[in-house]
Amino acid sequence: MAQLHVSDVAKTYGATTAVDHVSFSAAPGRILGLLGPNGAGKTSTIRMITHITRPDSGSVTYDGRPVGPWSQQRMGYLPEERGLYKRLKVKEQLVYLGTLKGLPRREASEKADYWLDRFDASDWGSMKTEELSKGMQQKIQFIATLLHDPSLLIFDEPFSGLDPINADLLRDIILDLRKDDRTILFASHRMEQVEQLCDDICLMARGEIVLRGALRDVKRQFGRNTVVVEFDGNDAFVDALVDADIVRVNTRTAHRAELTLTGNAPARRVLDAALSGVDELYRFERVEPPLSEIFVETVGEAEARRMQEQAVAAA
Amino acid sequence: MYKIWLILRSEFWRRVRSTTFIVATLLAPLLLIALMFAPALLGELGEESSEHTVAVVDHTGTLLDRLQDASGEASRLTFVAANPPTDSLRAAVLAGEYDGFVVLPTSLLTDDNETVTYYSTESSLGGPARLESRLEDAVRDAVLAAREVPDTIQALMEREVNVSPQVLSEEGEAGSGIILTFIGFGMAFLIYFAVFIYGQFVMQGVIQEKSNRVVEVVVSSVRPFELLMGKVLGVGAMGLTQMIVWVALAGAGMTFAGTLLALFVTPADLGVPTDASAQELMAAAGITMPSIPFSLVVWFLLFFVGGYLLYASLFAAVGSAVEQQQDAQNLMYPVFIPLVVPLMFVTFVVESPDSMLSLVLSLVPFFSPIIMPLRMTAAAVPVWQTLLAFGLLVGGFVFTIWVAARIYRIGIFMYGKTPSLTEVVKWATYR
Repeated sequence: MAQLHVSDVAKTYGATTAVDHVSFSAAPGRILGLLGPNGAGKTSTIRMITHITRPDSGSVTYDGRPVGPWSQQRMGYLPEERGLYKRLKVKEQLVYLGTLKGLPRREASEKADYWLDRFDASDWGSMKTEELSKGMQQKIQFIATLLHDPSLLIFDEPFSGLDPINADLLRDIILDLRKDDRTILFASHRMEQVEQLCDDICLMARGEIVLRGALRDVKRQFGRNTVVVEFDGNDAFVDALVDADIVRVNTRTAHRAELTLTGNAPARRVLDAALSGVDELYRFERVEPPLSEIFVETVGEAEARRMQEQAVAAA
Repeated sequence: MYKIWLILRSEFWRRVRSTTFIVATLLAPLLLIALMFAPALLGELGEESSEHTVAVVDHTGTLLDRLQDASGEASRLTFVAANPPTDSLRAAVLAGEYDGFVVLPTSLLTDDNETVTYYSTESSLGGPARLESRLEDAVRDAVLAAREVPDTIQALMEREVNVSPQVLSEEGEAGSGIILTFIGFGMAFLIYFAVFIYGQFVMQGVIQEKSNRVVEVVVSSVRPFELLMGKVLGVGAMGLTQMIVWVALAGAGMTFAGTLLALFVTPADLGVPTDASAQELMAAAGITMPSIPFSLVVWFLLFFVGGYLLYASLFAAVGSAVEQQQDAQNLMYPVFIPLVVPLMFVTFVVESPDSMLSLVLSLVPFFSPIIMPLRMTAAAVPVWQTLLAFGLLVGGFVFTIWVAARIYRIGIFMYGKTPSLTEVVKWATYR
């Protein structure tokens, strides 16, 4: 089984510590979500896994050996900042990038045809890459990542800039890839995506790992301290609860509120307040916290807000 | 190594098959020839327009005849007899009847300090200068004739001696001086331009890859050093192809110059029999083709390749540090200055190729690609010096490639503010 181990890895650039003694593992057949705000050290960590840069200390091993040119050949990497040779024709581009991954020319050409077909893009082969739309270029880049049938896949913000249809297509393919026992690493600051896709998570902030484990376990660990209320009428009771320091608001609209209970506040305080304030109550439920809440509790409000702002800016 | 080859091949083909490359390769020699002949052609045209008719009021009674006798020759001056008063001549010149007029006083044949004034509507210097030399001849002939100096002596005084330069070398090859030096100049500037332009290509390629962000995909498959080398060698292979095409075209041009000449000139015009060979034709036209030693061509290509590798890797390092061409200006100086310095010494090296300074300049790796081939055309350079220069050049480009690779691997991931030169140098020291 080809495991990826990152052991006690550190990397500094000049005076800034980008990655501060980080350790985690990724197993085949599972998707590991690497979470954290921009500047948390995700991309720096990924660059060491992809052997683009070397760690100052610590080691990265894949399948029992330190990563190197050999592992680059078995690895597909989709960087956050997408890029292709604009002047090259699509097919030529794919074959070139495939041969750089060690594929023989002919095989690269066959695989390119296969994947172009699978993405309904067979007609694009002879077009120049710059003639394609942004979404089409994303697909080509994705094909380039998969062409050489890698057993370790690393996606850095794979959904950024994708329209919903292509995002769905991409998610289906990622889930397919997991079935073939590939090790998949998925970096993102979009909590809901990570929640949908990942089996394991690894939460990074300021170059350190602040939380890691199977998504299920992590959620269980944080208990059911979240309350969802759906209602009609006056929502002033929410403000009253916040003022009384009983809850914190996660999300809030005119008819729905997702609240986190602070400390050991009983959930029925919320129910009482709601019943006395609203016209009609449709739903009251205690649920597991969403990942974004877990993140807030772990790294603190300030860091979390910073991250949310970045997410909004990116969207 | 295999990865470098893959990148080299891709870079090479991408460029060589483009229409721009093909057109540039074939048109550049034509453009060069046009540039070489343009001044001569323009001169010709200028001459034609300066066909002058000069009215002469001759008080000596002998000079006009002498002037008219000689005016059939290549001079473009026609002399016409005229009578005073000068007022009417002035009017005639202004009316465009003549281009100008002169009055030749009798004292011109006796008084050495006598001067003549040429009146015309234009202030060109060429006209009076030619008139002056013609008048000098006429006056001299007239004075000599008046003193009954024998014709043989007069002929002696008109004799001219032509000096044609020949260069000796250890191998006993005798180049044909001027033309070979000319070729030396040509080679020096060609290497300068080629290194500069191909270096810019490399830099542009690096900047494009970086601003396209495609570089991150590529370096997750190959080492940054392999990408750098593949690109430098790929563009270099393109440059070498272009150079070889040009050298071949130049060689063909020289070999078939006679045949080409025959297409434009009929033998009769040159006063040789109609069945004259191409060589005879060339000789008659006064064109001598230099015999360029083959070794010189080989050294030229070797120094070009060495100089290219040395500078192109530095251009790549500069490119890796910026995101746009415009931002590269400040970082370019350290690369640009050593490339320009040898150009300032080109004339000096040609004039004293064996001086200490010329020797040193031709050995320094940053200058030798331009200076050494030039020196080799100007003097017989001992083989050990050429080999030493080339050896140092190889050491030089190994060093610059090493430094460039260290800057490059950091630079390609640096986005945002354009770094200062100090920062870029510091990158080379990173672990």
